[in-house]
Parts: sequence; C-alpha cells; structure tokens
Amino acid sequence: MTAKTLGAVVVATAVLFASLPVGAQGPIRVGASMSLTGTYAKLGNYQYEGYKLCAKQINDKGGLLGRKVEFVVYDDQSTPATAVRLYEKLITEDKVDAVMGPYSSPVSEASANVTEKYKKVMVMPLAATTSIFKKGRKYIFMVISPSEVYLEGLVDMAAKRGLKTIAIINEDTLFAKAAASGAADLAKKRGMEVVFQEGYPKGNQDFSAMLTKIKAANPDALAASTYFDDAVAITRQMKELNVNPKMYGVTVGGDLPEFYTLLKQNAEYITGATQWEAALPYPGNTDFAEAYKKEFGREPVYHSAAGYAGCTVWAEAVRRAGSLDTEKVREVLLKLEVKTAFGAFKVDADGFQTAHKMVTTQWQDGKKVIVWPDELATGKLRFPMPPWNQR
Amino acid sequence: MNVVITPAMVGQVVISGILAGALYSLVALGLALIFGVMRVINIAHGPLLMLGAYTTFFLYDLFGLNPYLSIPVTMAALFVVGVVLQRTLVFRVVDAPELSSLLLTFGISIGLVNLAQLAFTSDLRAVEYLTGSFPLGPFAVSKPRLVAFVFAAGVTGLAFLFLQRSRVGKAIRATSQSREVAMVCGIDVGRIHMLTFGLATALAAAGGALIAVIVAIQPEMGQIWTFKSFLVIVLGGAGNYPGALLGGMLLGLIEQMASLFLTTQLSEVVAYVLLVVVLLVRPTGLLGGRQI
Repeated sequence: MTAKTLGAVVVATAVLFASLPVGAQGPIRVGASMSLTGTYAKLGNYQYEGYKLCAKQINDKGGLLGRKVEFVVYDDQSTPATAVRLYEKLITEDKVDAVMGPYSSPVSEASANVTEKYKKVMVMPLAATTSIFKKGRKYIFMVISPSEVYLEGLVDMAAKRGLKTIAIINEDTLFAKAAASGAADLAKKRGMEVVFQEGYPKGNQDFSAMLTKIKAANPDALAASTYFDDAVAITRQMKELNVNPKMYGVTVGGDLPEFYTLLKQNAEYITGATQWEAALPYPGNTDFAEAYKKEFGREPVYHSAAGYAGCTVWAEAVRRAGSLDTEKVREVLLKLEVKTAFGAFKVDADGFQTAHKMVTTQWQDGKKVIVWPDELATGKLRFPMPPWNQR
Repeated sequence: MNVVITPAMVGQVVISGILAGALYSLVALGLALIFGVMRVINIAHGPLLMLGAYTTFFLYDLFGLNPYLSIPVTMAALFVVGVVLQRTLVFRVVDAPELSSLLLTFGISIGLVNLAQLAFTSDLRAVEYLTGSFPLGPFAVSKPRLVAFVFAAGVTGLAFLFLQRSRVGKAIRATSQSREVAMVCGIDVGRIHMLTFGLATALAAAGGALIAVIVAIQPEMGQIWTFKSFLVIVLGGAGNYPGALLGGMLLGLIEQMASLFLTTQLSEVVAYVLLVVVLLVRPTGLLGGRQI
C-alpha cells in the first residue's frame, strides 16, 4: 500500500464516521437526582416529566450537537443528604456529560456544593431561594422567580385596594420563610402594617391557636406562605374559626387543581401564586401543554414547565456554545436572554434569575383565573372575600 | 404587633387542645398496648394509621360510605393487617433486644410508606365530608374535630372496657404484667400477642379514619403520629394505659397553649423539652410505668 492510497483510506474512514447518523458518538448523558419518593415526590415527578419531554423533543429534532440526549436519574427520596451522594456518584462514577438540578431549594442548596466542586454547570429549574445564588457559586443558574416575590401579587393588589394591615404566616422551612419575609418587606414598602407574623413547624396539622391570634389581630389581608397540605388545613380551620380577612392568599398549593378538588367551594376567593400557567401567552406554551398532556396523560403544572424550560435553556446554551465545555456553556448562559414556554430567562452575574415574572391566580366558580399582573390577567380579582358564615 | 391574649382566646384554645388530645390518646393507646405486652416500640404505628385513613378514603370515594359509619370496617381491615404483621414479622423480635424491634418496625414503616406511594400515588386526598364549626357562646367548636373527639373517646372507652372486663382483655393485661406467670396460668401468649398487635393497629386505624376527615391524606401523613404517640406514652408512663390517656390530653393542651402564648414554631420545642424534663424527673412517666 502506497502512502497515497493509505491517505485515501484514512480520509474515507474519517468521512464515513462524520456522516454516521445521530448517536454514533453515544448519547449526551445528563445526570440528575430527582425526588421521586418522599415528601416532594409529587412535585419532583412533575419536574422529571418536564425533563423527559424536553429530551424527547430534542431527540425527535435530531439531537443536540448531533447526539441524542439521555437522562440518568436516581431517586433522592426528597432528602438533601441523599442528593449530595447521588451527584457525587453521577459525576465521579457514571461520568455523566452534564447535570441538571433536583427538586426544591433545600435539595438544590446541598447539591450545588457537589457540582461546584467538580465545576459542572447546573441549571436548577426548581430552586427559588435567593441565598443559594448569593454564596459566590459560579456554575449554578436559576430559572424560576425567587421565593421573595411569591406573595408580591397579593400584596400589590391589597395595597391598590387600600388595605392597611396584613398578617403573614409561613411554614418554618427555607422557601416558605423567604416568601414570608419577602412579603413583609413588600408590604412595608407599600405602607401596609404587618400586624401578625409567625411560623409553624413542617407537618403541623392544627392551626387553631395561630388562627385564634390572627382573628384577634383582625388583619385586612392574610398571606400564608405554604406548601400544600398546610394550605388545605389552614383554609379549613379558618372556616371553622370564622377568620375573615378581606383578602386571603397562599403560595404553593393554591394554584394546583387538587386544591379545588379537596376544598371544593371553600377554595373560592383564595389566591395562589404560580410561576407559570398553561393559559399564559408565552412562545411555544400551548404546544408544550398539548405535548405534555399527550405524553403523560395529565395537565402540566408549573414544576413541569420549569423543568422543561430549564432543560430547554441548558440545551440552547450548549447549542450556542457548540460544545459541552463547562466554561463555554457558562459564558453563554450568563449572557443568554430567551423566552421559553415558561416565560423570560435572564440571569445576573451570580446566575440569579432577573427576568422571569410570577402570576397570581384566584379560584372563581371552580376556575383558576389569572388576576395579576394586569398585563397577563385573564379576569378581575373578586374582592372582598365574603365572611365564611355568609357564604 | 403583639396580639393581646384575652380569656376568650384561651378558652378557644383549651377547646382545641382537648379535641386534639382525644385523638392523641386514641392513637397512643395502641402504641402503649404493644409496648406493654411485647416490649416492642412500633415505629410503624403512624404508617398503619395512614393505611386506616386511606381505607376510609376509598370506602368513601368508591362506595360512598359515611366516613364515621365505616370506622368498624376500617378497624376490622387493619386488625387483620396487624395480625398478619405480628404473625409474619414482629413475633421474631418479641424477645430480642429493643434495638432489633426498632430496626424491624422502622423497616416496616419505610415499606408501608413506599408501598402506599406506589399504590395510591403521592397525590393528596381528602374526605370532604364535614367542615365548619358549631358556635358555642364566644367559641367555635370545629365540627369534624368535635365528632372525632366523640368517636375517639368512644373507641378508647370501649377498648378500656374490653381490657378490663373481657377474658381476652384480662389475658392481655396478665401477659403484659408477667408473661411467664400468664403462660403458667394457661394463657396462649403467642395468640395474645397477635390479638394485641391487631387491636393496637385497629386503634391506629380508627385514629386514621377520624383524621382523614380533618386533614389531607397522603402516604407520609403517618410518621408524625408515631412521634406524637411516643411522646404521649413517655409522658404518661410507657405501658401504662390510663397514662396514655392523660399523656394525650396533656400533649394536646401543651401544644395549643405553647402555640398561643409563645409561637406555633415553638410548640413542638416545648413538647419535647417537657419530654426531656419528665424523663429526668420521673423516668417512669407521670403515672409510672407498667402498673395496669
């Protein structure tokens, strides 16, 4: 074999490899620890479905950088310590190409320590706590609005209607606490007086003493920074004790369809805060909701949309960077300004989300209506909330 | 921003405390029974309560059964579950060191919660049957909690009567006082253990059925009841059945009072600090242990 023919063979082989279909290089393996069982199981699964749909759509369109995207997922049972172990395993043993964030602030906070250590870019679609992003970490990126603004809609609407006093209660955990203190700051800024503020332990089932005190404080508005079962329990006990603020809003839970299924007409007038709604006029939103329903047989909630959007944003950054290289992807993400089905995405130098907007919803005749902000509203706030014994 | 606490508020909170206390007593009585008779600390007690709540929910949701009238059905179903658990697993650790029984029941607890998650999903359920309250002068008495109180008191009363009067009840108490002597007297201790575990599980199930009407049902709802029941029987005296009643009432009142005068955040702290104090000052519980 002459040098010339050898050269031809080498070139031919190279061409052959380059023209092989998607997957010849093996898939891009994206590792994530997900809360598939335990306290956050419900919401963690929604997020995971968002990831799955995102990967499926990327692969249907020919993959990312010419490679398929494949999620490698382990169950962290909703505990931060387990998630830490799992990210170690994903990065060091499984040697995944990239990582995506877990569910919830506490789990994200713990996991970020690991991904930072190995300099892995991690888009964390369901971390809403500001402090996570204010510790000098370089490779984490926020997608959803921070906890502090969850109750902004309620406070803003209350202030606009001339309400003077507000009571704020919260579950004594990272996210709920931040949402409550954010609400207190916003209320003070708007000239409202915080007449009562108190936390309660996670898993608390009896709120009667707390609500008795709130009844005595007689606030115009009540803002409850809740997860889900606590929102249900508080509402039921408010009815029992006839606690009647003119406005009453919760954070997480109030936006989920189950809230109405559980409470029936007692959910009327209650506002919830959400990061996303299927009805919002964001690019690709309707398509996302339809594809999701087709794939999983249920309506998406914001956790699904955030997971989906987080994965989409990450993929977009990889596409623009043209590589999986940590530093390159990081540079792109820091400058990226996109609108996804989930709304706007733009972060500051800390990876902290600055563009995304929350919406406030209210239950009206069994339907969830967007009542805030005005430019996205699909209906008007029903105000004031009638006393429980006159419904 | 401090709220002035009026006597009417204290009254309201005392009512809430007593209503909550009856449920604590009912559930804790089951735990006390198992500990008294077998020296087994049953970590799975709360998850068994959760199964009771789900049973009530499905009977209500699928067959439209009144959640209160279905209590005997729920109790019977969970009695069987309890007997099967004792027969297959728990009997192995009755004479083993306490750590073994802790590990085993902890395992059962994790198993039950995860099975429930697989079978029922982690979606929240509710038996939206009774809401609102009865006005009583300046106070409001929660309807579902009042009914729960009445049933809890009733079931607990019946359980007591059963323990005091029936032959099996006497055999249970005898076994709890001294297993050897009971055996010598011709009591089938193995059978008594089975019945006790079944009865205790049925009591947890009754608690679950009543709680199902009050709060949302989910696979993880039970664990907190294991801890509360444990607190109750230590306060009242482990293995001492009237002690469980006293402990339950005390816990209900302490939690509510702490929540009123301090903050709700601190109510659990107060309860556990009290636990430590009781253990230091009266390690056998307020009524003393094992005197039946």
